[in-house]
Amino acid sequence: MSAAGPVLLLERDAALPLVHGGVCTRSGSAEDPEDRLGLTRLCQRLMRRTAAGMAADEVDARIDRMGAALGLDIGHGSTALSGTVVERSFDEYMQLFEQVLTAPGFAEDELDRLKRETLAELTEILDSDQQLVQRWFLRSLLAGHPYGRTVVGTQKTLAAITLADVRECYRRHFTRDNLLFSFAGAVDAERAERAARAIWQALPAGGGAPAAPPEPEEQPGRRLVFVDKPERTQTQILIGGIGGHPSDPDYFPLMVANTVFGGTFTARLTQEVRAKRGWSYGAYSSIGYDRRRQAFSMWTFPKAEDAAACVALELQMLSDWWQGGITREELDWAKRYLTQSHAFSCDTAAKRVGLELDELTSDLPRGHYARFVAHIGDVTLEAANQAIQKRISLQNLTLVVVGTHAAIGDDLRRAIPDLAEERVVPFDTE
Amino acid sequence: MSAQNSSPNLAALTERLNEGRSAHSKLEYLGRSKFGPALWIERFRLGNGLSVLYVEEHAAPTVAFHTWFRVGSRNEKPGKTGIAHLFEHLMFNETEGLAAGEFDRQLEELGAESNASTWLDWTHYDIAIPSSGFERVVELEAERMAHLVLREPQVASEKEVVMNERRYRVEDDVEGALNELLWATAFVEHPYRWPTIGWMSDIESFDVQDCQTFYRTFYAPNNATLVVVGDVAPERALRKLQDAYGTYQPAPIPPPPASVEPQQGAEKRLQVTKLTPTWKLNIGYHSPALGHPDHLPLSVLSEVLFGGRSSRLVKALVRDKELASDVRASLSPLSDPGLFEIFVSAREGVVAEQLLEVVDAELARVLVEPVTADELARATARIELSLLQGLSNNEGKASTIGFYEVVLGNPSASFERLAALPSIRPDDLLVVAKRYISASARTVILVQPQGDPDDDAGGDDVEVAA
Repeated sequence: MSAAGPVLLLERDAALPLVHGGVCTRSGSAEDPEDRLGLTRLCQRLMRRTAAGMAADEVDARIDRMGAALGLDIGHGSTALSGTVVERSFDEYMQLFEQVLTAPGFAEDELDRLKRETLAELTEILDSDQQLVQRWFLRSLLAGHPYGRTVVGTQKTLAAITLADVRECYRRHFTRDNLLFSFAGAVDAERAERAARAIWQALPAGGGAPAAPPEPEEQPGRRLVFVDKPERTQTQILIGGIGGHPSDPDYFPLMVANTVFGGTFTARLTQEVRAKRGWSYGAYSSIGYDRRRQAFSMWTFPKAEDAAACVALELQMLSDWWQGGITREELDWAKRYLTQSHAFSCDTAAKRVGLELDELTSDLPRGHYARFVAHIGDVTLEAANQAIQKRISLQNLTLVVVGTHAAIGDDLRRAIPDLAEERVVPFDTE
Repeated sequence: MSAQNSSPNLAALTERLNEGRSAHSKLEYLGRSKFGPALWIERFRLGNGLSVLYVEEHAAPTVAFHTWFRVGSRNEKPGKTGIAHLFEHLMFNETEGLAAGEFDRQLEELGAESNASTWLDWTHYDIAIPSSGFERVVELEAERMAHLVLREPQVASEKEVVMNERRYRVEDDVEGALNELLWATAFVEHPYRWPTIGWMSDIESFDVQDCQTFYRTFYAPNNATLVVVGDVAPERALRKLQDAYGTYQPAPIPPPPASVEPQQGAEKRLQVTKLTPTWKLNIGYHSPALGHPDHLPLSVLSEVLFGGRSSRLVKALVRDKELASDVRASLSPLSDPGLFEIFVSAREGVVAEQLLEVVDAELARVLVEPVTADELARATARIELSLLQGLSNNEGKASTIGFYEVVLGNPSASFERLAALPSIRPDDLLVVAKRYISASARTVILVQPQGDPDDDAGGDDVEVAA
């Protein structure tokens, strides 16, 4: 649709009597004030719970009764309020959707309850070593940048959030020009457009996506954060730095090079760490992005006794990759893999609409996915190896390990050449 | 499968494809059954006993090619637990025609996505491929069914990987450890009592001989079902399967263990301490097998009690009383009777007995009072949505078809369960509640946080009075 109406992405596919869809905002938790972290997430959860002044129980019961699911995904640069509904309930689902988006009740007692629930969720995270390593990795690597901030909030920032903050947050995110509507499945264009327009018209005009934050800057040197948790038989390890963004001219070369390094089951990292040595059930590298570059990271989880050797091996492999690049044979294989497997990124209507949404919410070049196969085909060996050296740093690395420090801390420190800084934090540090 | 119908075209095609073929590679067309409103599952069997389920579906240029073996951890013996799962890992290794690593390398080169899983009743290998790679993927999958090479370096390395997987899923994971303890306590006879990943000491002790014996015993065409769903025409698909699998010999497959779990006469209760910030509660009630008529109404009852935020227990524990941060339940879909499991994670300052009191009060209600029509409608709508969501692509369809075929012998059972939902009445739920929600047939595990003021269990499992 044009500027005179809502932005609507739609693909009809009536093979199943289901409709997937929802609304994305082109702004996210990066907009949360430093002393109100968790505000965007709290706001949208509260919108869902208090639609049209209903009690949260009533909202949940209505969703269940329709044969629907409605969830939230809060990112730094965008948010999604979306779900799935059986086709026969689509109109009722959109009516509820409209109430969530245009008439949230924002009850004070529900806000208080939600804060208590969120605090309990923060406590639950302490049980998951995988979540702990991710939390500390992003927090350390992106310190000082909005992408390094928590989406969920902390005890202190959640306590500070008031209903007035929530209302202001709602007004900031939910404006006509900041919303993207999307539907896929057993719904025709007219029905979808009617539903989207009704919501769009009920919201205030203007208010497009905020400016993206600046690109994150690398932290200097090799820095180890040891998240100390008692009685660990195993470790969780993330090592990395700032990666790339699809708007970078060398993004596709970097993607091909990463596929060779740690992007698949037969990539170098999995072969050396898992297949040859049996050290870790998983061993992968990835390049994350939001509206800006985010992390390039290597993830492994060896048993405690193998952690130091595993880190040493990963650093050596990273160095070999950086200095020696990838081979012609590896390049050709990775390009074949990426072009062939792209079929699974777009094998359903919902996935295809999702890719279009990703282009819009992550500031990707338009046509990024439509030209994906051609872009991969254009990657040369020279470009791939140059991209590694340009985008990946050997010197500026953040290493985060969740484990038992008394058992492996010394060995681990010795396994990291040129370590500039080491910090040990108790696992239950907020 | 009840052959509700058959396709004359496929019958004729089968006849043509069989011309000049050996006995083992001759296909028998066994008929078709509906799979939802628009699709048909066509059933075939090769002369060597290999079952084939085929669905033609051209919505995307991809094919799901799945292989299910009727062997899981239930087929293991004490002292050798975990071999079915270890073997699943080994299947990605060297074969007579492929060097180590080559299997995965070739799959990836074709753009395929592959994975595998093992559970109590089965082992499942799934490959998703762009349609152009179908023939090569069939060749690769057939190669490892009969020509796997098992040698010391690979077995030793894969044991290390599996032990690391166990550390990840059990040793360092409170919920994983708790779940293992629940099943090991609830069952005393049936092989469901040991974990699919196996006990650590058993994994450590496996050798090449163990693996070769397992392979020869269970990996035969007559113990497998192939599921093909997607953008591949029937003649192309069937001819290739005949070519790739038709030379394989059937083997005598040992019958599944005839172990029957004796009826539990009294509640079992254990309290353990773990490094976790809050108390946890895990309860297991003995429950019917997936094929039992009570399974579906009990699934609906589980949804009424634990399905989503408006369900009785989630509402009571998370929202109204604010005693818990997480409340879930699951009803095991197994060949033999399993468990109806309940998991609750307490909020700080709340002890497990408080959670148990609320759970017991709500469970007591469904023993005497029918659920409301609205609760029933919500629960069945949730189940319907869940089933439909699982069928969004070829992978989901193939997984659903293969699962119901291997566990129930009926690949269309998912839609049959869906069709049966509207006939379920509140009284049906009352009946199954009385039959299965019995304190004398349950196992209760309480997890106390280490360092809790009342922690005097010293880290050991302690039996406590019910």
